[in-house]
Amino acid sequence: MTLKKWHCEKFGLGNQAFYWLHGWGHDLNAFKRMALLFKNGTVHTLFDQPGFGKTPALPEGATTREYADILAAQLAGTKDAIFIGHSYGGRVAVQLAAHYPEMVKAIILIGGAGLKRKRSIVFKVRAAALRALGRVARLFDFFFKTQYRAAYIARFGSADYRNAGPLRGTLVSAVNEDLSQIARQISCPTLLIYGSEDTETPPEIGRKYENLIPIARYTELAGYGHTDILSRGAYQCEAIIKSFLKDLDHA
Amino acid sequence: MAEKKVIAVVFGGRSVEHDVSILTGLQFLEALDPGKYTGLPVYVDALGQWWTGSILSKRSEYPIKKTHHTALTQLTLDLATPANGRPQFLTFQKGIMGEKRQAIPFDLVVPAIHGTNGEDGTLQGLLDFAGIPYAGCRPLGAAATMNKVFAKRAARTAGIKVLPELLVNRPAQGQFLNANTLKEALTNALGTETYPFIVKPCNLGSSVGVSKVNDMDGLMAALMSAFRLDSAVIVEPFVPNLVEYNIACRRNEKGVVETSAIERPKREAELLDFKNKYLAGRKTGGAKLDTGPSEGMASLNRVLNPDELTAKQVNFIKTCSSQLFDELNLAGSVRIDFLSDEKTGELWLNEANTIPGSFAYFLWEAAKEPMSFLSLTNAIIEEGFTLSAGRLGNTTADAGGATLFAGD
Repeated sequence: MTLKKWHCEKFGLGNQAFYWLHGWGHDLNAFKRMALLFKNGTVHTLFDQPGFGKTPALPEGATTREYADILAAQLAGTKDAIFIGHSYGGRVAVQLAAHYPEMVKAIILIGGAGLKRKRSIVFKVRAAALRALGRVARLFDFFFKTQYRAAYIARFGSADYRNAGPLRGTLVSAVNEDLSQIARQISCPTLLIYGSEDTETPPEIGRKYENLIPIARYTELAGYGHTDILSRGAYQCEAIIKSFLKDLDHA
Repeated sequence: MAEKKVIAVVFGGRSVEHDVSILTGLQFLEALDPGKYTGLPVYVDALGQWWTGSILSKRSEYPIKKTHHTALTQLTLDLATPANGRPQFLTFQKGIMGEKRQAIPFDLVVPAIHGTNGEDGTLQGLLDFAGIPYAGCRPLGAAATMNKVFAKRAARTAGIKVLPELLVNRPAQGQFLNANTLKEALTNALGTETYPFIVKPCNLGSSVGVSKVNDMDGLMAALMSAFRLDSAVIVEPFVPNLVEYNIACRRNEKGVVETSAIERPKREAELLDFKNKYLAGRKTGGAKLDTGPSEGMASLNRVLNPDELTAKQVNFIKTCSSQLFDELNLAGSVRIDFLSDEKTGELWLNEANTIPGSFAYFLWEAAKEPMSFLSLTNAIIEEGFTLSAGRLGNTTADAGGATLFAGD
């Protein structure tokens, strides 16, 4: 495990610390617009997570738990911080809240990933068939030195998978991971914000989290998708987060 | 928890600034506090028809395709506010039993239409007439600032420094502009006939139809093209080494006029025209529009709180703008624009925009005491409710003893 500090940007003055964890394929800039709306009286750290932006990747196949462990090691001594995660960053925030409860005052997931979606039978059959095809392609390549696997990835692999490079192992482990059990262990208050038109982490996932996490508030923003919730949805998120923080202080 | 208020944001409109208005309207909707308000997009198309529908929230849907009109619901504004006092839009849907009338109730209108038929007091007057609460300036202030000559005269009377101007009306049908009379009028109004001059339509904003002329021929041509946009046109002296400064004003909850940060729009061309004011940096072909609050007016190259301004100049801008805001009893977030000669540092108040692009939120975010767009929309809405509630008080006939047809 590398213990090199993650690249980050910091701003703001105050006692309450906020840590922002971007999603897959993004970097610290993803949250910049929104984080700046909170700068009064609070301190903000926007991270480049390993493998993105200016932070080097972790060894092949690192899991979200390892991301959380390394982050916790870096922030040793931190107490009562607020972690905000988008998509993949949400997974890391969930791991952190479950395993390092003393560090975390609350977590906020915006389009947070980590739970399995309900899929139709047709989808499952298709996915199983495609996986089998992928294995056959790999087998062919192994025996006959063909390039079928590459062609298979180009044709059927997701954009994230194709572009993952050395992070491919991490991506695969993340996609296959199910944080249901871990979410149950979260003891801090959790805010869940999901865009109604999000197709990557649909509202369904937020609802599931709401049921799993003991103290959770779920809000759905009508008309927003997975990524534009961070840009044009920044103000709506700001309003929801601020009222959550207010209730947190009064709790 | 009280029921959320429905805020109808009206944008688009029959104005040359139709497209800019769409951005402004969508930005306002996106900055509404979801805990307090529900946004209702109301799009006024180029023909003046009103529509609503969820696809209106997406920038990528514009311009609205003809086929998409099925995804939209046409609205009419009910001018006879129902007895419970809650204003409503009406829609008519065809059913098997004939046409069915449906009401869409709302609580407040936010006019986000720039320019004519929206920013000029007409929409505001209509809403006042119907007793519908709305945000921003009242009809008088909106109309007064829309007419550049009227606004300048009001400012001049209040002792605010403005440039001299000549007002030229569109010649009657079959008549032509006469170079000699124009020459005389120029000398009378501006004291001299020294080119270059600036020609601009009297009632439009966003630098639409503004041009610089260097001689009489150019002046005639510029007038003719400006008359296509407006029936009255202003000729002003050209300010050498021109820089512009803008500031926003609003009345805070205590009734005191507050000012925002000052911006200097950067410019590459000698004069701001519509293209480089709004389309700066945008490449041709598929514009990346769904990126949110950073686009439009805000992403334009601008310098916030420019450091070349002396304390005296800043003070001048702040005082003049607050004074005009007070003088014309404006409301909402109003952007007031100044002209300056970079070399001499001299400043003139140029014009006021009562519905500025993006509601000038970026100026408030950069203010000494920053105000986020979220708090700005809150403030604009609350002010709208207060102003509309306090408009006339009781105005039924018996209140003034003017009852003619008394019952028993």
